[in-house]
Amino acid sequence: MFSFGFIFRETRNNLRWNITLVLATVVAVWVSLTLFGASLIIREGVQQATQRWQGGIEFIVFMNPDATEDQLVAVEAGLSENPEVESWDFFDKNQSYNEFVTAFSNQPELVDSVTPEDLPPSFRVRPTVTNSEAIEAVANSFNARPGVRLVSLPLDAIRVLQENTRQISVFVLVLSVVVLIAALMLIANTIRTAIFARRQDIEVMKLVGASNWYIRLPFMMEGVIQGLLGGLLAVPMLFLMNDLLAGFVEEDFLALLRSLVLDGGAVGGIAMMVTGIGAAMGAMASLFATGRFLDV
Amino acid sequence: MACLVRRLVSMIELDGVTKIYKGEVLALYNISCAIAKGDFVFLVGPSGSGKSTLLKLLHRQEKADHGSIWIAGREIGSLPKARVPRLRRIVGCIFQDYKLLPNKTVVENVAFALEVTGSPRSAVAEKVHPLLELVGLSRKLHSYPNELSGGEQQRVSIARAFVNRPPILLADEPTGNLDPDTSLGIMRILDEINRRGTTILMATHDSGLVNHARRRVIRLDKGRLVQDQAQGQYHA
Ligand SMILES: Nc1ncnc2c1ncn2[C@@H]1O[C@H](COP(=O)(O)OP(=O)(O)O)[C@@H](O)[C@H]1O
Ligand SMILES: [Mg+2]
Repeated sequence: MFSFGFIFRETRNNLRWNITLVLATVVAVWVSLTLFGASLIIREGVQQATQRWQGGIEFIVFMNPDATEDQLVAVEAGLSENPEVESWDFFDKNQSYNEFVTAFSNQPELVDSVTPEDLPPSFRVRPTVTNSEAIEAVANSFNARPGVRLVSLPLDAIRVLQENTRQISVFVLVLSVVVLIAALMLIANTIRTAIFARRQDIEVMKLVGASNWYIRLPFMMEGVIQGLLGGLLAVPMLFLMNDLLAGFVEEDFLALLRSLVLDGGAVGGIAMMVTGIGAAMGAMASLFATGRFLDV
Repeated sequence: MACLVRRLVSMIELDGVTKIYKGEVLALYNISCAIAKGDFVFLVGPSGSGKSTLLKLLHRQEKADHGSIWIAGREIGSLPKARVPRLRRIVGCIFQDYKLLPNKTVVENVAFALEVTGSPRSAVAEKVHPLLELVGLSRKLHSYPNELSGGEQQRVSIARAFVNRPPILLADEPTGNLDPDTSLGIMRILDEINRRGTTILMATHDSGLVNHARRRVIRLDKGRLVQDQAQGQYHA
């Protein structure tokens, strides 16, 4: 006693009749879900980066460019004696110069003005402790040694970066929720318009004894399809955005930002969720609209 | 006991039915009557006497304020909203203004009633054509309502109401907009449907039709039942 053919045809006719409004609604869902997905990508990126930073944090002991061999040996001994130091790498003047040349390859004048002799040798140290105060204490214990120019901690930079990205993601989230609500109202209104346009058919359907779901389902489907379409369109946008971000942080020579970029699987998970939310939005809005305006 | 037996043979029964619109317009007052299976009954009375209201109560387009209504043995006043579609499949309805869908052809209008009640498409084609033949519209299958005369439109509407083979057919002034000859044509179709076993209750104030048919007449006046007579006459 249930003909899907009928429901399908009715849904198609509704969508076709309403096409401009339907397209506008799909675009609204699309934009809102793209923003929403973007905020999730940023959030997850920040989480991932924080984890990695916390695991692999290091500080750098920069020596004076003219530090003596004795001074270097003394610092090295200090590092191997310290139980809170897990390991370290020594970068001599030539290695530092190579790094410098790579980092500033787009500024040849700067590269030309510097020779290996001008650059400080450095120790890249990985501490065993992970909380920031303990790391700071270890790092500072090397500050006063002879020949040490300065000890650099990336902690502050990371903190600033975390704070900034969190703010951006919250901002995008709030924006997406606003557009999401607008999209919900648009779906509901599109269905309301469709119901109004078909009020004569609906009256006849009621008079000849069509069951409530027969009357209601085509309108419900119309809403779900709009939400689903908007969600599906947002999927490539999310992958595109993640790719753009990846390309952007390629140029970050500190590799600090690279941890922000998610792999395809993580983006895929978010994309699936966004598609599901799109369909759910359509179902919710049309449930509301048919309940409110259909009177069956 | 007698009451129960009567209820079993009645297709339609009203018991003390009162309808008040918006708490102030008394449209029907204390109506009681029974219509047996297979009857053809005229519901007559001047405009505003409550004929349409009575038919709407039987179709659950309106609800009675007092009293009970039984259709095919079931009390319909307490019918939950979700069951109303089922009631309407056993109570067909035709209207003075036909209520055809202007963007559908004759065939599509009739098929629509089958489709929306869940008939598969194959059954639709099977049932629609014989019915359109019965009402004499075999040659207008693909016309749109605005290409048909009033009488032809009413025939489409009868075909639509009858396509689900309801045991009861309500007709609210079906000839109200038609000339006498065309009205007779409609009457002949309703007679034929009645002969096939469907109980018909027809509201009208066309005394010519009523007196010619020699059927049972129920007369309303200002919402009260003032006459209920087998082979009745009606003088407006
Ligand atoms: N929806 C309504 N709201 C208020 N009053 C109504 C409504 N429908 C009918 N009435 C009133 O109820 C009375 C009976 O109307 P109706 O049943 O249409 O009579 P008939 O069909 O015999 O002309 C009239 O006084 C009419 O004005
Ligand atoms: Mg009337």
